[in-house]
Amino acid sequence: MSSGASQPLIEFKGVYKTYDNGTKALSDVNLRIDKGEFVFIVGPSGSGKSTFIKLIIHEEKLDAGEILVNGFKMSSLRKKEVPLLRRTMGIVFQDFRLIPTMNVFENVAFPMHVVGASKREIRKRVSYALNLVGLGRKARSLPRELSGGEQQRVGLARALVNKPSMIIADEPTGNVDPNMSYEIVDLLTEINRRGTTILMVTHEHQLVRDFDRRVVMIETGHIVADNAGGVF
Amino acid sequence: MKARSVRYLIGEGLKNIWLNRMMSIASVGVLMASMLLMGLAIAFSENVDRIMSTIESQNVVMIYLDDDLSDEQVQSVYEQIRSLDNINPDETIYISSSQALEGVLETMGPEYEQYFDAYFGEGNTILPETVRASMIDLEQYDQTISAIENVDGVDSYDSSRDLAVILTTVRSAINTAGIWMIVLLSLISLVIIANTVRITMFNRKLEISIMKAVGATNGFIRFPFMVEGITLGIIASLLTVGVEYLLYKVAIRALEPIISILSFNPVPFSNFMWIILLIFLALGIIAGLIASVITISKYLRREGSEFSAL
Ligand SMILES: Nc1ncnc2c1ncn2[C@@H]1O[C@H](COP(=O)(O)OP(=O)(O)OP(=O)(O)O)[C@@H](O)[C@H]1O
Ligand SMILES: [Mg+2]
Repeated sequence: MSSGASQPLIEFKGVYKTYDNGTKALSDVNLRIDKGEFVFIVGPSGSGKSTFIKLIIHEEKLDAGEILVNGFKMSSLRKKEVPLLRRTMGIVFQDFRLIPTMNVFENVAFPMHVVGASKREIRKRVSYALNLVGLGRKARSLPRELSGGEQQRVGLARALVNKPSMIIADEPTGNVDPNMSYEIVDLLTEINRRGTTILMVTHEHQLVRDFDRRVVMIETGHIVADNAGGVF
Repeated sequence: MKARSVRYLIGEGLKNIWLNRMMSIASVGVLMASMLLMGLAIAFSENVDRIMSTIESQNVVMIYLDDDLSDEQVQSVYEQIRSLDNINPDETIYISSSQALEGVLETMGPEYEQYFDAYFGEGNTILPETVRASMIDLEQYDQTISAIENVDGVDSYDSSRDLAVILTTVRSAINTAGIWMIVLLSLISLVIIANTVRITMFNRKLEISIMKAVGATNGFIRFPFMVEGITLGIIASLLTVGVEYLLYKVAIRALEPIISILSFNPVPFSNFMWIILLIFLALGIIAGLIASVITISKYLRREGSEFSAL
């Protein structure tokens, strides 16, 4: 998908972010991520990885510089445009964030209701997503009846059900056991192969080496390395 | 918003009432208590109005004469009363003591005659000679009454005017108290519903954070809460009308003796049912809507850390 002239999906240009309490979370960050890429974000605790993600999903506002995401200019994004921006991405949470009173099917269907999809579309896309993550048989289960790894796979299905152009995942394997981590990243790889850009924050260095992808390393708010091939 | 989104969100709002049923019941209960007080005040005042108009249409004073008057004296007292200012001579009549008895028997039933006869002796009654006088202008009530009292041979009088005065006072007291009560109760209901919505929202913070993450607009997020508030308001209104119907029936039965003394027909519930239903619905819907909008807006306005801070 990303062959030929690569198109930028996310661009950071001289980005600064300081929290209200004075913490300088990001300083002069410059980065470009193209459509179809799979990027790991690594770095020590407190280095600014989550802040980097929060700026992309507009959970936090930047102080200086410019961020372009899917054509949205983050410095001048109007409040009304935030939902539109977020519909272009699928967000995966470390703590899964499944709604406990809804079964697997309903959880995955949830984002489709938000965009007003028809029942037929919903049925089609949800079963596609659930089959992709290997949970087609668990559609009627409640989240509490699933293992951590299974719950995160439901989270993945939910993130991709609306065909986003990118999936943003901040430590998606943080709450699942190590074997399951590989399964999750395998799935992300498959989703990426089908054309979706993947941005994933992780602490698991071995996993990053094994998957052999682009690695962006952040330390104390600066990008200190940006290598292809799982090197950092 | 698409029709199917609206349908989905209405479903979500209704589901939420059920999922948070304890709080829903509490809100409906509080709303009902306020509405019921209001409704009973309305029912009371409707009936007082009817009593008043009955009384006013009569303008009648019953004047009882001294026992020991001769027929000529009675006749003279009657003429004096008829010629008083503010007394309508054409509608002022003399009722002899035996006619009075007939009147009593008419209302009590003829079978009582034997008792009267046995008691007082045939043809005798202790009922006084009476003049039934009609006033032209009730505004001059006090002057007219003292003029009547000044006529020689008048023993006492009886008029429903005193009752009218009491009722007017009570009614205006209830109206004033009622308005303040309504204001106060509306505020309390609002706070309680707002609290319900706040608690459901606390439970649904997770859901809201996901809604935001997948690009739901604030309107979309707010919608189910509004459905919830409005529905609680409607449920409370309908239940209150039902409860008030029953209470009204019970009250009328309990007050039957008083009502028959006043000889007036209570206003049927159906006369004001639609008015109170409309008032209740309006109040319930507005309370529900305001409560949900206020509560959730406070949360939706927040920006930053909307996903992390759960
Ligand atoms: N809402 C906030 N208010 C103030 N300071 C914050 C806030 N969020 C993060 N920080 C600070 O900003 C810096 C970067 O935090 P960030 O969460 O981006 O780190 P991280 O790389 O994700 O760390 P971890 O690997 O532990 O998740 C830290 O010093 C952190 O304490
Ligand atoms: Mg982090």
